Amino acid sequence: MKQTEMLAMILAGGRGSRLKTLTSKIAKPAVSFGGRYRIIDFPLSNCANSGLDVVGILTQYEPVLLSSYVSQGRYWGLDSRDSGVFAIAPREKADAELDVYKGTADAITQNIDFIDTYDPEYLLVLSGDHIYKMNYSKMLAYHKERKSDATIAVIGVPMKEASRFGIMNADENDKIYEFQEKPKHPKSNLASMGIYIFTWKTIRKLLLADAKNEKSSHDFGKDIIPALMDAGRNVFAYRFKGYWKDVGTIDSLWEANMDLLDHASELNLSDYSWRIYSEDPTDLPQYIGPDAEIDTAYITQGCVVDGKVVNSVLFTNARVASGAVVRDTVLMPGVEVAEGARVTRALVADGVKIGKGAKVGSPSSSEILLVDQDVKGVE
Amino acid sequence: MPRALGIVTPSGNNIRVNGMDFFRPISAFSFLGRYRIVDFPVSNMSNSDIEHIQVYVSQNPRSLAEHLGTGRTYNINSKRGKLQLLFNQDSKVNEIYNTDIRAYSDNMDLIELASEPYVIITPGYMIFKQDYSDLLKEHIASGAEVTLLYHKVDNADKTFRNCHTIALNRQKGIKSISVNDGSDPETNIFMDTYVMQKDLFIKLIHKAQKRSSVYRLIDMINEEIDELDIRGLPHKGYFSAVTDFKSYYDANLELLDFGKANDLFTDEWPIYTVTTDACPVRYVKGSRVKNSVVANGCVVEGAVENSVIGRGVEIRKGASLKNCVILGHAVIGEGVRLEGQVVDKWAKVVNIKQIIASPDNPGYVKRGDVL
Repeated sequence: MKQTEMLAMILAGGRGSRLKTLTSKIAKPAVSFGGRYRIIDFPLSNCANSGLDVVGILTQYEPVLLSSYVSQGRYWGLDSRDSGVFAIAPREKADAELDVYKGTADAITQNIDFIDTYDPEYLLVLSGDHIYKMNYSKMLAYHKERKSDATIAVIGVPMKEASRFGIMNADENDKIYEFQEKPKHPKSNLASMGIYIFTWKTIRKLLLADAKNEKSSHDFGKDIIPALMDAGRNVFAYRFKGYWKDVGTIDSLWEANMDLLDHASELNLSDYSWRIYSEDPTDLPQYIGPDAEIDTAYITQGCVVDGKVVNSVLFTNARVASGAVVRDTVLMPGVEVAEGARVTRALVADGVKIGKGAKVGSPSSSEILLVDQDVKGVE
Repeated sequence: MPRALGIVTPSGNNIRVNGMDFFRPISAFSFLGRYRIVDFPVSNMSNSDIEHIQVYVSQNPRSLAEHLGTGRTYNINSKRGKLQLLFNQDSKVNEIYNTDIRAYSDNMDLIELASEPYVIITPGYMIFKQDYSDLLKEHIASGAEVTLLYHKVDNADKTFRNCHTIALNRQKGIKSISVNDGSDPETNIFMDTYVMQKDLFIKLIHKAQKRSSVYRLIDMINEEIDELDIRGLPHKGYFSAVTDFKSYYDANLELLDFGKANDLFTDEWPIYTVTTDACPVRYVKGSRVKNSVVANGCVVEGAVENSVIGRGVEIRKGASLKNCVILGHAVIGEGVRLEGQVVDKWAKVVNIKQIIASPDNPGYVKRGDVL
C-alpha cells in the first residue's frame, strides 16, 4: 500500500438535538440537505475533490443509517485501490466496558491504531455537520509552508455573533496565541470551523499524554490546542473565505436550504469543478405537470409537481399535487402535499403526508415550523 | 432455473436516425433527460438476474464504453457477473455487409466461452420493460426451440418502420415474418428479442454465414420457420422503437404522460443509468414550466412547455421552448424561441431568434453547434 500523505477523520458522532425529531433516529451528519444530499456529503466530497484517499468516520449517536450510507465509498469515488471510507463505531475493549468518546480528542486517540495502519504524515480532522466547499489540499500546503504543527481553519464572523463560536486569537502572522470557547467578550471575530490539520507524529504523542491526564476534557479546542501552544508549538490560523454554515437548528437548516435559491450565493452547487457527490437514486427525472406554477425553486430528481411552488426547496421524490401551494418551505425526501393543501414557512420532515386542503404554517411566524407528523386533510 | 447469456444487439442497418447516429450508436442515444436507450435492455437483464451480458457495438464505441463501464451501475455483481462491450469493425464497402451475424461471428470465441446454456437476445434501439427470467421459464415450459417476443400494436402504419412483423398460427407458432411496410396498422411487431439454446444460436450463425454474407439472424430464422419449432410470446406494457428521427422524438414526448411513464418505470423494476452528480434544478424567478420532464443540473429562467430537458441545460431569460427535446448541457439563449426541435448535446442556440417546426416534422440542431 502506498503511504497516505494526509488521512481524514470526520467526527460524526454528535446528536444534533436542536434539530429536534429530525435526529431522533439518525445522526445529524445523515440529515438530508439541498434536495439530493446528506450533510456528510459535503466533507466527503471536499475530501474526494481535494485528492484525499482515506476517510475515517467516527460515529457514535444513532450510527446505523450513517454507517451504511458512508460505507458506499463509490458515491464519492473513494473506492479506488488505495482509498476508502471507513465508518468506525466506539468499541468495547478487553480491559474496559464499552465507552463513549469523552471528547473530540479522545475520539481520535481511541482510534490511533486505525490511523497508524496508513502511516500518514498529516491528519485532517473534520466535523461531519457543516455545509461548505473547501480545498483541504490548499490548507495542507499552507500548513507545510508555515512549518505548522497544527493549523485551524477560521472564518470571520460578525463581531456581535462571535460569542456563539470558539474564537481563535492570532497575531499579525496568523499565529494563534489564544483560544476562547464561546467568549462573553471576544477579542477577535475569527471563529474556528472545526477543521484541523495536525502533523501526525507531533499530535500522536500529545494525544497519548492527554489521555492520561485526568483533568483534561480531551477536547481539541479546550485541551489539545492550548497544550500545543504551551509546548511552544506552531499553531496557525488558516483563513477561509466563502460559504460555511453550521446547520444546527431547524431555522438554520431551513435557511441554508433557502440559500440555494439565491443566484449570487457562494454555495454554488452547480460548479462542475467542485461537485458535491451523493447517493445515486434510480428515480425518474422530475415531472412538472400541466397545472404547475413554479416561481423560484430548487427541485430534484423524482419530484412530481403539479401545484404551485414558490421560494421552496423540494427533495428527492417530493410531490405537490394540483391546486396545492408550497411557499417558503423545505419538503424533505418523499413528502406528499395533497390537492389544495397550503404549506407556508415550514420544514416538512421525510415522508410526511399533508392531506387535502390542509393548512400548515403561517407567513408571519417568527420561527420555521417543523412538520414531522402527517397532517390530516380537511374534507 | 438454467442460466442465460444476455446479448444486446447492434441495431440493424435498416434502422437509421440521420444526424444523431453520426455521433453515436442508437443504443447510446440520450433518452428522457437522464437515460440512454441501452439502459433499458441492460437494466431488464440485470433485474432478471442475468449476470453475463454482452453489448455489441459496431461504430463510435466511445460513448457506450464510457457509459456502461464495468456494469456496476447496473447492479451486476463484479465478481460473479460480467458486462462485456464487444466491438466489430463496420465494413466500408457496402452497408449491407454490416449484419448482426457478422458481429456475432467476429466475437464467436467469446460466445462459445460463455458457460450459460441459453441466450436471450434483445435490441439496443427499443424501449420496454421485460422480465427475461419469466420469458426463459415460458420458453422452456413450451418446449419451443426458439421463442420470439412481440407486441401487438395498432399504429404500425405510422411508426415501427423497418421493424419486422410476425404472423402467428393458433398454437402461437410463427407462420411468417416480414418487414413492416406500414400497410396494416394492426399487427404484431417483432421486438427483435429471441430466446434459444446457445448451441442452436451458434449453429444458426454458422448456417447464416454459409447461406449469405449479408444474412441477418432474422433472415436465418425466417428460413427455418418450417424446420424449427418457433413460437411467439406477447409483450404487455409500454413499448416504443427508435427506428428513425421522428420515432426518437415521439418516444421522448410520449413519456411526458405520467401514466405511461409509471407503466415503464416502477420501483420494483429500476432502470439504472450513470450518475453525473448534477445538482437539483434551479428555477429562477420568472420561469414558467408546464408539462415537462427536467433532468438535474438545469437552470431554468425561461418558459418550457411539453418538452424533455436533459441534464445541465441552461434556459435563459425570455427563452421559450415548446414540444422540444433538449439534450444534455445545451444552452438556449435569451429570448430564443424553439418549437418542435431536438437540440443535441452541448449545442448553443444563442444568436438566432427562433426555429419553429411542427411536432409532425421536428427539426434537429447538431451536437456542439452554435446557432
